[in-house]
Amino acid sequence: MKAFAPGIYPRSEALVQATRDLERGRTFPEAVAEEEQRDFEDLVSVQRAAGLSFLSDGMLAWQDLFRPLADAAEGLDARPLTRFLDTNTFYRAVLAVGEPHLATPLPAPDLPAGKWVGTLPSPLAFARAARDEVSAQKLAANVLAPQIAAWAGAGAAMIVLSDPFLAREGGAGELLAALGELPEGVPLSLQLPFGDASSLLPALAEAPVAAIGVDFYSTSVNALPQAYPREIHAGVLDARSSAPESPDEIARFAEELLAREPAGLALVPNGDLQFVPEPIARQKLARLGQASAVLAVVA
Amino acid sequence: MSVRFVTREIGSLAKPPWRVKTFAGRPLDESDFAAADDWGRRLEVAGYEELVEGLRAGSLSKSQIDDWAAVYAIRLLERAGLDVVYDGEQKRTEMYDHVAAFAQGFEPRGIVRSFDNKYYAKAAVVEAPSVGGPQDVEEFEFVRAHTERAVKVPLTGAYTMEDWSYDEHYGHESGLGASAEQRYDARRRFVHDVAADVIRPNVEGLVAAGADWIQIDEPAATTKPDEIPLVVEGFNEATRGLEAKKSMHICFSDYGALWPAVMELDDCLELQLEFANRDSRELGTKNEDRPGYADTLALFKDYGYPGVGLGVLDIHSDFIETAELVRDRVLYAAEVLGDPGRIQVNPDCGLRTRSWEVVYEKLANMVAGTRLAEDALN
Repeated sequence: MKAFAPGIYPRSEALVQATRDLERGRTFPEAVAEEEQRDFEDLVSVQRAAGLSFLSDGMLAWQDLFRPLADAAEGLDARPLTRFLDTNTFYRAVLAVGEPHLATPLPAPDLPAGKWVGTLPSPLAFARAARDEVSAQKLAANVLAPQIAAWAGAGAAMIVLSDPFLAREGGAGELLAALGELPEGVPLSLQLPFGDASSLLPALAEAPVAAIGVDFYSTSVNALPQAYPREIHAGVLDARSSAPESPDEIARFAEELLAREPAGLALVPNGDLQFVPEPIARQKLARLGQASAVLAVVA
Repeated sequence: MSVRFVTREIGSLAKPPWRVKTFAGRPLDESDFAAADDWGRRLEVAGYEELVEGLRAGSLSKSQIDDWAAVYAIRLLERAGLDVVYDGEQKRTEMYDHVAAFAQGFEPRGIVRSFDNKYYAKAAVVEAPSVGGPQDVEEFEFVRAHTERAVKVPLTGAYTMEDWSYDEHYGHESGLGASAEQRYDARRRFVHDVAADVIRPNVEGLVAAGADWIQIDEPAATTKPDEIPLVVEGFNEATRGLEAKKSMHICFSDYGALWPAVMELDDCLELQLEFANRDSRELGTKNEDRPGYADTLALFKDYGYPGVGLGVLDIHSDFIETAELVRDRVLYAAEVLGDPGRIQVNPDCGLRTRSWEVVYEKLANMVAGTRLAEDALN
């Protein structure tokens, strides 16, 4: 059973302190970069120790899901602080200041080719963050597509497209049209963090992606249609809860999902693990790996 | 009758460096003594020389330093010209931790990011929360004794406490694969217990001590739009029947989600909201000039909500709003609502992320701009 953890991972207290010190002029960017590298190496070790199928870089330098891409693109800027629904966090809304175009793709993480997953905003989420001043289709074609192509060329095993808005606000039709603009060279997974995907699953069955990520802390198991034609990336770790999950309980739940015979199944968190402190996230990754191992034994 | 808008702050101010370093166990240096001296002079704080001497001698207790920080903050708000003041929450760690650390039933779990490089300490509820008595009476009495201005006491609301906490107590049956009803019920029980057994005892104690204005802060109000009825239930549970003015502060949220649920708030005289963060910095009083205000004020008008606390200062920017910009924001609101009596004027939120220098300039301009608006309307 595949298991992995895409999205933004929490920073260690040491890295948090370094970023605070930098803002207050008490340290230098090089010191922050060193802490960031230490966090990255720790995270890779934790994922390897947990036996996860793919590695993630934890997006440790990303301030939110949109900022690095907005910064890397011409025609986009970031300014007003805006609250994400459902989490006590904020992002800088994306300002459209011209025709969007990815100037230089974001670099790929230093991870083995074919073994890593990257995370980007879905085209619809990107458009929503830009208050729909730019269409999802245009952002897909001009910004996300070249970024995905660059990461595919650099050995990404999969790209997760995170959409924190779709389950709450709808827009599946707009999203499906925009997904058609993305390249086919690497499997794409559309992740719907922290939301009830029940009403969306039928519409997304034919989406041009390999997998759909579903938060099963917000979505009933009964919402998954029998023989769903896309792989399900089951959100079975609650990234908003400090309580550690039971690997056995996750495994039992995964068996319930398997009984519905989706095209495939993988275990993931139901959203970015950045919503719990790093020591808890680390514990959760271990539990994810243990659940995957339990399922392997059962199989 | 002539128009007179009430001006006030929302809550937190940054803490002076000498207060921060003392509590962090770091040594003070000349810059800290100079800051205490400089602001003491500027704000005409009575006896500020004692603070400076005490800091130099290392002879002040943490409690004394807290008191000095509170007095400085009160004087800052007074000197800026505000009608209603508090102490900038100088004696509180942070709005969530202040409550979670005092109440029984919460355990710290670590820090999580709010935005950029800003983090907050987060706790888990591990049993039904409660308090042994009111939390903030002493703080209120100190403020009351140190100002002649009206006082408004800011308190963190029950829903925000619930939403910002991890749940290791109520949600045992609402985990993996649970129904939406089970999850909602768990959160509702949590909100109810915080409102009844943590916030209300504090409000009762404050009102008994003479507080006549309680502001309930609910920045988490719209994070889950389908749970806004819980925000309302929490407010009503915490304040129902108590003899004081009551208001609610919400910020950086989707205000469209608040209505119609907020019409069920009991005796909540106004909603104090953030607007400036989403507004243009250009002058003007037409709809197109005030994009940050138009949609939300239309909700106040359409639903007939009685009062708005108009956020006119962007608290996440060092940009100093001119008096004329403040004036135009207030005049626009007065025009939309058709009744200046429904408006009071404040920053978008607490100003804790700005330096005192910036805060002072912003607030002074807020007051000056409000006076300009009054002149225009009178």
